[in-house]
Amino acid sequence: MTSMQHDDHDLAGALDELRRTEARMQTPQHVEAAVLAAWDNAHALEATRRPRSFWREAAAVAAAVTIAVGLAQLGQQLRHAMQPAPIQPGNSRTLLLVGEPILQGEPVRMVRMRVPASTLTDLGVRLVTGTSGEHIDVDVIVGEDGVARAIRVGR
Amino acid sequence: MGDATRAADGDLADSDLMRRTAAGDRDAFTALYRRHQAMVYRFARLMTGCNSTAEDIVQDVFLVVMRDAARYDPARAALSSYLYGIARHHTRRRLARDRQFVAFDSRCSEVMPPVAEDDVDVTLERRQTLERLRRAILSLPRKYREVIVLCDLQNVSYNGAASALGCAVGTIRSRLHRARHLLSQKMGSAMSSDEENQRLSMRCAV
Repeated sequence: MTSMQHDDHDLAGALDELRRTEARMQTPQHVEAAVLAAWDNAHALEATRRPRSFWREAAAVAAAVTIAVGLAQLGQQLRHAMQPAPIQPGNSRTLLLVGEPILQGEPVRMVRMRVPASTLTDLGVRLVTGTSGEHIDVDVIVGEDGVARAIRVGR
Repeated sequence: MGDATRAADGDLADSDLMRRTAAGDRDAFTALYRRHQAMVYRFARLMTGCNSTAEDIVQDVFLVVMRDAARYDPARAALSSYLYGIARHHTRRRLARDRQFVAFDSRCSEVMPPVAEDDVDVTLERRQTLERLRRAILSLPRKYREVIVLCDLQNVSYNGAASALGCAVGTIRSRLHRARHLLSQKMGSAMSSDEENQRLSMRCAV
């Protein structure tokens, strides 16, 4: 055949023959071995990874719970420690040091003042009775320099 | 897993095998591989013209199946179309990558299939024709080569080819028509060139 255009019939025949030849082709055996080895590797990795990640997750959860409980307890303790004992102005006396400590033998003066209960709350005194708007009588101990050294609450 | 289960794997539908593969069933994956490896290999081989590249592509395709079996949706496409789609993607990547290198020999030395014992009656001329046809197919633009390989050499339906290549059936038809025309031209010119070479060599001998 010398024509530039191959005959359609010949082309179809050639394609058919090539198809039949190709139909016998199979992937070489070593490819299957390689693919299955890849499967085994991937699943072996997964299998070793799974328990490790389970224990890691369990440990992380346990640690988180422990930390949360610890923090909650610590917070509670701090709240207790920072919370002054409730004072009932009528029954007991509390001395609050608000400035420099009073030195032994230091001459002091006592000034009675009436202050809003909220002021005492700001100083960390929790009053059992009364509201923050109420006024409380306190004794302020003033040093020789005129600076308050302590406040006495209650009588 | 026992032999009975293994035998049953061969009867399962592709979608069941894919589901079991996704669940980590090695036998299902093996059955899938054995059922579809040849089809992927032939496609890759005809598209690249190289056995070793085709082997790599088969591995790549089944590694994707192994990894993403759970993502396969049988409602969207037949498994063969899905596999052809992956094979096509990897073939394209491979061809694009190989284009960056200059080969010592432009043709892969392994392109000819090994001669089977029942091939002895195949005449030299027929083998030459087949070789010319292979070369002509390999020289086609990729989009035409794909349809020739799928529809004419792998017996994939137009619908299946459309699904695998992600285009309309009409596009497959028109590409196939154009591809056959190009192929016919290439075969014609290849044959006339062969005849010319033969004539010249005879003249030299005289």
